[in-house]
This record gives sequence, C-alpha cells and structure tokens, in this order.
Amino acid sequence: MTQTLNSNTGQLSRMRRYRHLMFSVLLGGVAISLGLRSLDYPLVAEVVYLLGFFGFLAIWQGTSIQLFDERERQIEERACAVTLTITAFALIFGASAGRLLPLLTAYSYPTWLNAVIYAFIGQFIVFAAVYGWLRFRT
Amino acid sequence: MKNHVRERRDDAGLSQADLASAVGVTRQTINAIERERYDPSLELAFKLADYFDCRVEDLFDPNLVST
Repeated sequence: MTQTLNSNTGQLSRMRRYRHLMFSVLLGGVAISLGLRSLDYPLVAEVVYLLGFFGFLAIWQGTSIQLFDERERQIEERACAVTLTITAFALIFGASAGRLLPLLTAYSYPTWLNAVIYAFIGQFIVFAAVYGWLRFRT
Repeated sequence: MKNHVRERRDDAGLSQADLASAVGVTRQTINAIERERYDPSLELAFKLADYFDCRVEDLFDPNLVST
C-alpha cells in the first residue's frame, strides 16, 4: 500500500509540475510577445506567441501522464455547456433585436454586432457538425 | 450521492491527499466526493472500493441522495 501511495504521489506531483509548466509556457509566450510588440518587434512577437501556444500543446499532448482528473474534465464539459447555452440566448435575442430595432426605432444597429452574430452562427454550425460526428461514432 | 468515503478514510487514518494519491485523482476531487458534490465515475468508484477492500455498494448508496 505504501509503495502504491508513493508511486501515485509522485504521479500527482508530476501532474502538478507539468500543469504549471504548461500554463507558464503559454502565459510566458503571451507576456514576452506583448513586450516585444511594445518594443516594435511585431514579427518576432508573433513567433514567440505561437511558440508559447505550440509549447502548451506539446506538453499537454506529449506527456504520458494524465494532466487532469475526471472531476476537472467534468467541470470543463459543464462550463462548455453553460457557455454554449449563454451563446444560444445571445444569438437568439441578438439576432431578433438586430432585425427589429432598425424597423421600430431610429436606432442604427452597429455593423460589428452583425459580425458577432455571424460568429455565433458559425460556432453553432461547428457544434452541429461535431455533435453529428460524435453521435455517428458512438 | 450519499457515500461513506469520509468514514472509511478516517477509519484508515488517511488524509484526503493520501487517498487522492492512492487512487490517482486530486485532493479536491476526494473532498468533492466526501461533500457529495461530485459523483465519481464507475472506474473511480471501483478504485475506491478496491482500496478500502469493500464493495462499491458498501461505499456508495444510490438510494440516499443528499439534499
């Protein structure tokens, strides 16, 4: 039992270490990139930014140990579902307001809001495609 | 779901962190199970039962949902 405990303790501390490293690489990339951008090195800033992102992905996908446990995955899934629900309400009422306001009032709808509505529509198209694919697979 | 994880852990003289390490989850997950705010997967339920050398139904009671 002690041996199992020690080996699992080591695994959990490795998990914590990798998670810290993963987010440090990502946030470090963003921070250095912002610094370089303010020093007028936009191209190098983008390279550092992308390196931070790919470093994050490499640690996440490359390590053999599991970085998040089942409860954390469930929290992530629920957060995604709540976000999607909020987005759905914003899309339904936003699109309706976008059609009605110019008809009923003198208010001119800002054009950038149309871009947001189309982005939300795009997100739901992707969701439907992914949902269909997952349903087909399982 | 009502469960007896805290009692079993106390009887074994383990901390939440010890149990978490033994079954390969975070201490927060054990805390959430004990406070009945998270129902573990079948895999984790079996791991916990195996660790305490009891049956899953001795550890978790699906008929007693906490309010």
